[in-house]
Amino acid sequence: MSSHSVLTVSNLTKYYGKFRALDSVSFTVDKGWVYGYLGPNGAGKTTTIRILLGLLRPDQGEVQVAGINPARDPVNALQFVGYAPELPTLQTFFTGEQLLDFMGKMFGLSPQARKEKIWQLLDLVGLKEWGKKKIGNYSKGMVQRLSVALALVNDPMVLIMDEPTIGMDPEATAHFRSLFTSLSKEGKTIFISSHLLDEVQRICTHVGMINKGKIVFTGPIEQVLEAFTQQWVVEAELERVTETMVSSLKKLDFVDDVRVEGNKLMIALKEKKDFRGEISSEIFKRKGVLLSLNLHKITLEDAYLRALKGGP
Amino acid sequence: MSAIRRITVIVGYEWRRALAKKSVLALIILAVAVQTLILTLYSQFTAGTMFLTEEVKPFMWILGVLQGQGLFVQLIAIIIAGSTMSEEYEQGTADILLSKPITRVEYLSGKFLGGFSLLALVEALTTVVGVILASWFFGPQNGLQYVPLMFLAIVYSTLIFFCLSFMFSEALRRSTLAMLIALAMLIASSIISQLLAWLYITTSEYLYFYLSRGIPTWGSNYFPSLLMRELMTIPSTTFLNLINDPLIPIEAAKRGVSEAVLVREALQQAAIIVAIYAIIFILVAAYRLLKSDVTKKTA
Repeated sequence: MSSHSVLTVSNLTKYYGKFRALDSVSFTVDKGWVYGYLGPNGAGKTTTIRILLGLLRPDQGEVQVAGINPARDPVNALQFVGYAPELPTLQTFFTGEQLLDFMGKMFGLSPQARKEKIWQLLDLVGLKEWGKKKIGNYSKGMVQRLSVALALVNDPMVLIMDEPTIGMDPEATAHFRSLFTSLSKEGKTIFISSHLLDEVQRICTHVGMINKGKIVFTGPIEQVLEAFTQQWVVEAELERVTETMVSSLKKLDFVDDVRVEGNKLMIALKEKKDFRGEISSEIFKRKGVLLSLNLHKITLEDAYLRALKGGP
Repeated sequence: MSAIRRITVIVGYEWRRALAKKSVLALIILAVAVQTLILTLYSQFTAGTMFLTEEVKPFMWILGVLQGQGLFVQLIAIIIAGSTMSEEYEQGTADILLSKPITRVEYLSGKFLGGFSLLALVEALTTVVGVILASWFFGPQNGLQYVPLMFLAIVYSTLIFFCLSFMFSEALRRSTLAMLIALAMLIASSIISQLLAWLYITTSEYLYFYLSRGIPTWGSNYFPSLLMRELMTIPSTTFLNLINDPLIPIEAAKRGVSEAVLVREALQQAAIIVAIYAIIFILVAAYRLLKSDVTKKTA
């Protein structure tokens, strides 16, 4: 564990009856990281989060939040944590304002601080008009937004969010994505469990991938893309594909293989470098008419799928 | 923030949660309505009978208060406590609350005190209503200086079924099931207690006598009336029979001692029995909460 670790998960194992939900899971999240926690349904993401919050007791291993075990000392460990659960159910007898006020009280905020914070947060999540209405009248997306506001009420050092944008419309999703980015720029540590790989790739600095209760990768996002990239591929769309063109491309030093798919050539490269210039010159030399030329590196989704299959 | 402050925040939350439920409000109104009805019936149908003599009228507030304390207040206790813990699991809100900087002991204490203080408020209401109605129907009342003590005795005596329902609420984490089991135990306990008393009267076997006192309803039902007998001299046996343990006069005759001696003895036993049951039920609930995972949304 480094001195900057905000979340430390060490050798965590959790059973539900005979089912092993987590199997020796270990990772750390340092201050200022935006950590995307990825995995298919039932992989153990929510179980990990609930152990981090002291809601579940692990069978083996330990977690620490800011160096404190939340199961042993929840008051000090959770003081600086904001948590937005997946598809939250909030207390419907409260209005949005009242629930934020109650949560502020739970964090020991003064009446003045709560008063200032509540409407600021309702505005931030786009619920200012709904603050005085009972939560029972909110839509799912609104409840989700209020849940993010609740997670921010104590100005947390670390935000733990389980599928935070589920149920939100595309506009709200984009808004929250930029909110998370600006929060991370303020120096907050963000831990996001998500299925939305595109979202994770856009905002996360680090990722952890979990499958069947085991961590298959944890590290910086560039490293995961690198680790799971087998080769770069150039996709060339032509008016007409000829045999001579294929064989001449195959003879190039940097080309590993050429595959024909209709009027497209999928040119696998030996090195992870952009050879589009050289390829287009070769095609022009062979009198080919190029319609498009794209370089495919690897997306987080490709890396994720490869990781789940057991390696690069 | 201190532990007491955190507990107070949960107490306030619990009040709001319980009062938002229409069933609790309906039961409170019903309890007061039934109390009014009973006293109205007494005033209408016992006038001029052996029961309602002039010397009994100044003590009718005891009946007015104890009638309110009977079935309905126990029912309200079971309903408030039965949902206190379990509803948070059923609705998934336990995750939200317990992921905040609060220990589980503080959370449990806040929930318990919140529910129980609300119940005490309901009991204060039925006590005041009982006294007012008795004064209204039967004229000036005697011994009103004991009303606060009577109220505290009622609050104490409802601890048993409040704690029982609270325990099931945490142990089972299902509100309806917790309330139904607690209610079934209240009814069963009441029947078994009567049965054991009858067996003692017919067989004179002391085992039945002590068993009948060990049943939860005995302490819960008789603690307030025993305290009243200890504090006041009530001049009518017919009246006393309505509110008192029927075994006391039988036992007094058998042992050849005054009823006052047995009342004092029974009062102590009732106080101890209420405390023992309440402590056991609370400890079971605390053990369950401290030792197990917070279950996800169950409803």
